[in-house]
Amino acid sequence: MRVIQEPDQALAMHRLMVLSRCLDEICCRESPHWFPSEGEEAVPVGAFYGLGPEDVCAPNYRGAPVVYLMRGVSLEQVWAGILGKRTGFVRGRHYGFTAPVQLRVLPFLAGDLGPLISQATGAAFAQKYRGSDAVTVVSFGDGTSNRGDFHEAVNLGAAWQLPVVYVIQNNQYAISMPIGRATAVKALVDRALGYGIRGVAVDGNDVLSVHAIVAEAVRRARAGLGPTLVEALTYRVRGHFAGDGAPYRPADEAEAWRERDPIRRLEEQLGQAGLLGPKDAQAVWATARAEVEEARRAAQAHPEIQPTDLGLDQLFATPVEGS
Amino acid sequence: MAGRRLTFGEAIIEAIRDEMRRDGRVFLLGQDIGPFGGALKSTQGLWEEFGPGRVYDTPISESAMAGVCIGAALEGLRPILDIAFGEFLACAMPQLALHAPAAHWETLGAARVPLTVRTKVGEGPYRGHPQCVEAWFTHVPGLKVVMPATPADAKGLMTAAIRDDDPVLVFEHMFLYHGLREEVPEGPHLVPIGPAAVRRPGRDVTIAATGWMVQRALQVAGQCAAEGIEVEVLDLRTLAPLDVPALLASVGRTGRLVVAHEAWKVGGLGAEVAATVAEQAFGALKAPIVRVGAPHTPVPMHPTLRRAFLPDAERIGAAVRAVLAYSR
Repeated sequence: MRVIQEPDQALAMHRLMVLSRCLDEICCRESPHWFPSEGEEAVPVGAFYGLGPEDVCAPNYRGAPVVYLMRGVSLEQVWAGILGKRTGFVRGRHYGFTAPVQLRVLPFLAGDLGPLISQATGAAFAQKYRGSDAVTVVSFGDGTSNRGDFHEAVNLGAAWQLPVVYVIQNNQYAISMPIGRATAVKALVDRALGYGIRGVAVDGNDVLSVHAIVAEAVRRARAGLGPTLVEALTYRVRGHFAGDGAPYRPADEAEAWRERDPIRRLEEQLGQAGLLGPKDAQAVWATARAEVEEARRAAQAHPEIQPTDLGLDQLFATPVEGS
Repeated sequence: MAGRRLTFGEAIIEAIRDEMRRDGRVFLLGQDIGPFGGALKSTQGLWEEFGPGRVYDTPISESAMAGVCIGAALEGLRPILDIAFGEFLACAMPQLALHAPAAHWETLGAARVPLTVRTKVGEGPYRGHPQCVEAWFTHVPGLKVVMPATPADAKGLMTAAIRDDDPVLVFEHMFLYHGLREEVPEGPHLVPIGPAAVRRPGRDVTIAATGWMVQRALQVAGQCAAEGIEVEVLDLRTLAPLDVPALLASVGRTGRLVVAHEAWKVGGLGAEVAATVAEQAFGALKAPIVRVGAPHTPVPMHPTLRRAFLPDAERIGAAVRAVLAYSR
């Protein structure tokens, strides 16, 4: 049995994972295009929990909204973005789940994956340039870890010993491509050796372990000991998008991984430690469901985006005269 | 100081040096820009003055270099990304053509990317890396693209680029780099991003040109003057956003337009210039617009083929005579 060192943290992470799941369930129900995060919540919650306001977060798109909640964004505001309301952070100009850069979350700026890893490395560069002790945590999928962007960014972050933690949210599928067919390495964490940095593998369905491992990497980065590559092994129990039935993989695979659900795992750990009984857990779920539903209702009343919001005059921060 | 004559390359370095002295957030990042001094000596003296804490030599990884600059810019720094040659921009396209230009608009202004990208293009002393790729970027909303044609403009536009809060690409033409000297103002010298410049006034025909072709257009204008033809040479110098009012005003005076650039003609900036004038000033035109640009092949390496490839004064002169000879 695991000793839970910080009961308040564990309970807070439980609540966040439950909120994330409740949000995800509704999004999957309402939109076949939603990118589901069911079963992967331990990675964003564990990796980004407890960072300070000066630290920079660059979460993987799958499951990112829960990181915004941790940065202090309200559920209603998260919904405003997802529902494409005028009050969303990007007012319909990009994916509704795009990050609030105001809170030091790096935004998704385009649809391709990988460039964010370099941008996060650049945020860490700025932190070091200024001599602050802030750090940057960036997460991305196993598929993205095969891109040149990953290689170039991690190599540079390692060469310059930047205060950055690279977290692979290995859900084992890049849309339909299983990781075992995408690379010959046995474990993605082994790549750390090729960059001369520390690499740590962690059970990505155990939020307490994910948090402990990433928090240690964050401490090292803050102390000037350079980057760590963390591989958090989890599984995408739904399709790439909600409408994707994932017929390209064995039918029983997802069911086996559902048995290892990270929220249930944490509830067992909390139960054994005497911190959360079954009734308490039920109450957390009921409260979270109600909060998510209520926030959604509130956001639905927000103003709609108008054609004039195209923002032809907002292209530049420094306007060009005569154009 | 009077009579202070600098080359194009020296003027650019002076702009970077002055801005780095003025603003501690400005830093330079690129390949071989440290003790080596940059390709074509394009960063000479900067490493010696500012050291490795402001001038960062990088591994060969243009995509990460660009991404690091974007991330640093989002965190409030003002990076100058040195991409030795324009063709290497291809390796950083997602960062420079998708991510950097979208940041301000998509985030309703919450994110800013005050990034200057400097790169060398065009015919140069060793014929290598000649691809003129400006049009890859003038197509993209959210980018500013400048291409100075004189040492004074090189300093002024580089200064403006570094002080600008948006991503700006500065295309430095290699043929102009060490070739001529010109008086360049000492101290802060700002040429605003946007306005084109009339390099020589004339009433018969406008040549709108970029980079090295501005020089060649002036050469043609000189030849034509001897024949009694007055050519107006308009140096576009900011390629995006285009100075449409200046273009229309010039065509309004002359009624005839030739567009000249070293880059490929097909889908090039000249097409945008010609289409804009045709759309907005059709009534002022006395003849069809003629574009002069490179033929539709990759840039050849052998000197004989290169000469056959590059737009020259003869081709620009022929275009001028063609628009003058046109009658309905």
